Amino acid sequence: MKPVAVTGMGVIAPLGNDAATFFAALLEGRSGVRRLQTRYPERLGARVGAPVDFDPALHFPAPKARMLDRVSQLALVAAAQAIEQSRGALDGIDARRAGVFVGTGMGGSETTDDGYHTLYAEGSDRVKPFSVLMAMTNAPAAWIALDHGLQGPALTYSTACSSSAVAIGEAARRIATGEADVMVAGGAEAPLTFGTLKAWEALRTLAAEDPVDPARSCKPFDKNRSGLVLGEGAAMLVLEDLGRARARSAPILAMITGYGLTTDTSHITRPSVEGQARAMRFALEDAALGPDAIGYINAHGTGTPANDPVETAAIKDVFGARAAMTPVSSTKSMHAHLLGAAGALELVVAVLAARARVLPPTTNLDVPDPECDLDYVPNHARRVEAVGAVMSNSFAFGGTNAVLIARI
Amino acid sequence: MSTEDRLRALLVRDFDLQPEAVQPEATLESLEIDSLRMIEILFCVEDEFKIAVPAEHAELKSRLKTFGDLAAYIDTLVAAKPRDPA
Repeated sequence: MKPVAVTGMGVIAPLGNDAATFFAALLEGRSGVRRLQTRYPERLGARVGAPVDFDPALHFPAPKARMLDRVSQLALVAAAQAIEQSRGALDGIDARRAGVFVGTGMGGSETTDDGYHTLYAEGSDRVKPFSVLMAMTNAPAAWIALDHGLQGPALTYSTACSSSAVAIGEAARRIATGEADVMVAGGAEAPLTFGTLKAWEALRTLAAEDPVDPARSCKPFDKNRSGLVLGEGAAMLVLEDLGRARARSAPILAMITGYGLTTDTSHITRPSVEGQARAMRFALEDAALGPDAIGYINAHGTGTPANDPVETAAIKDVFGARAAMTPVSSTKSMHAHLLGAAGALELVVAVLAARARVLPPTTNLDVPDPECDLDYVPNHARRVEAVGAVMSNSFAFGGTNAVLIARI
Repeated sequence: MSTEDRLRALLVRDFDLQPEAVQPEATLESLEIDSLRMIEILFCVEDEFKIAVPAEHAELKSRLKTFGDLAAYIDTLVAAKPRDPA
């Protein structure tokens, strides 16, 4: 793929409400995971999650905030940050050649949860007047387009846990092929509601709360890992034609150079080494790079029993002898799994690691698993001479494997 | 408090309007009350006045032009409301 410039990165996430604060917390190995305050907390089997510290009143007048599900609020603020950081990516654009692609897995789940509670639990016959507009899955993309006047495509990708990696990959393609000049692309998710947590709990994929320290419940690649921890947040990028970005002396934070996308057709949830490996190979081919050019992989690394050994095997399959020398970390150990926002947030992490030349750790990795035997940057951030290109993996229920490669 | 005063208080409290702007002759357009905002206002009105705004009045927008029109309409619904049993 023709390289595409990243000129802005906005983050509202556990551990930080801007990219720099968030990344600094990751380097310190801090955890955003805690016991949640939800409806009926005593009825939750796994009570831990990673919420964001976010006050909508600081960002929206009350009438506007009431029209927005939390997922759209998070998306809008992250997008505004990214656009501001780009120092004028939208100034003087042909609005028809600017668009927004957002990934989200669950959409406006707070609105859905509240609405059902009102109807079924409270016995009311009325739900909030804007329930449809708030819950509709395309609301975050629609609001970003509306607020910033982006008249090109405003699309929503919902491929579960790879949604926002797909959104960014597809947006980068639009620019690389010359169909668009500027794209806002990323993901948002706000799944920490009682109903959504119960649904994930039912699938038996959530981590048990760590009996000593709830903040350490997510343990990717550790022998004692017991599942994923859900988190909320948004990460948005401004992607821009590289020539245009250079011509306007924009801050070029990184370039997206590779995107690989495959679909497993073996099982609705079980990951496949073959499908993941093929997505990584496609991304490398797209970037015209060999495995030796990758200096850091931000793993999908959910901390589920199934994901981590499969991803490890897939990396070995692609990287061969280089696998042992390639640092891989799962920052989900700290910020948890943001589902549809995960791919975007973790690409931001990978880009910031390349820029800072410091690799964020996989925390809570104390007991090695013989099936997970790569260099996971355990427990402490690592300073390196140079990072080179970085890879971010996102694999999903439904089988959509998306891999992004960026370099600074 | 009159219906008009209660409605004004509601618009000021929940819809970021300035009390001095909410006068009987003020057009809904000038108060930036579009069809979507009207739906939300009627929702809040149902709570505030303990009334049900009939669904067939959803096309009210064409008839209600000013804040005074809206207050008068709500007044008719309040007046038609069955009295609470003592």
